[in-house]
Amino acid sequence: MGYIKWTFWITFWVLVASFFHYTLPQHDVARITDTYEKRIDFGENSLFWASADTGNAVTSVNRDVFFIQTRLSNDNVMVYRNEDTGWGWPPYFKFDTTNLQAEASDLKSVAETPQWVVIKHYGWRNEFMSIFPNAVSVRAVDDPNVRMIPWLNISILIIFFAFVWAIWVRCRRFREANIDPVLEDAGDSIANTSDGVKKWFGSWRK
Amino acid sequence: MFALARLVVVGFFVLTIVYICLSLYSRSVRRDKLETEWREGGTEGANIEEFVQKGLEEYDGSLRRKLILGVYVIPIGIVSFIIYATNFM
Repeated sequence: MGYIKWTFWITFWVLVASFFHYTLPQHDVARITDTYEKRIDFGENSLFWASADTGNAVTSVNRDVFFIQTRLSNDNVMVYRNEDTGWGWPPYFKFDTTNLQAEASDLKSVAETPQWVVIKHYGWRNEFMSIFPNAVSVRAVDDPNVRMIPWLNISILIIFFAFVWAIWVRCRRFREANIDPVLEDAGDSIANTSDGVKKWFGSWRK
Repeated sequence: MFALARLVVVGFFVLTIVYICLSLYSRSVRRDKLETEWREGGTEGANIEEFVQKGLEEYDGSLRRKLILGVYVIPIGIVSFIIYATNFM
């Protein structure tokens, strides 16, 4: 039983952690090297793509998606998609995809004269599934070592764990007050019965 | 428009559940408080039902009860702010 319980809780918390890691905003410092759009035919990875621009037809099976390709300040490359999240999940309410693409194009630079930008994004880059993080905003910065404290993520996670803690405490209290006494009673009565049975067997053995 | 309609309908549904639960809870807390107040004395002349009834009628017209409407107002405010921050800031 112990293994099942642990497997369940580890799976549960890994899922919760990946949900937050995918959904919460993160900031990368990067240099934009190019911007382009590419036709995408969504397949198995369609879960990791957002919807068509708000107001456009939603029934089409493929469409052009904006991309922003960058070199990060740690010298790796990273490619972002740039899509509306619209009124759907995750709740960034991003409608200005095309404007963002214009800003990103404006901030393009070459390695000799770098223009650093902070890219706010959510999502994952995974080469095996061809998925890309979705850029939410860009802003120019002078220093590639700019320090960012994720206040929003900190507050969201604190509120989330406060909720979890509140529910957990109430569950524990409920168990102590209602379930444990019943189980103890049951345990006592089983013990009494088995005593009786032993005595009966004992009397029978004599 | 479909996505917006879906958000509004689902959001209204969920928030209404929260609103109803919170209203019932707040009212029961108020009722408990009034009953305790009556038991502790100092309210000569009234019997407990009348006293609690009168207290709850006062509560029905109070600002405290209207504050529960914040269940609708706060999420709308947050969404409006996020829309502004994401697209226009």
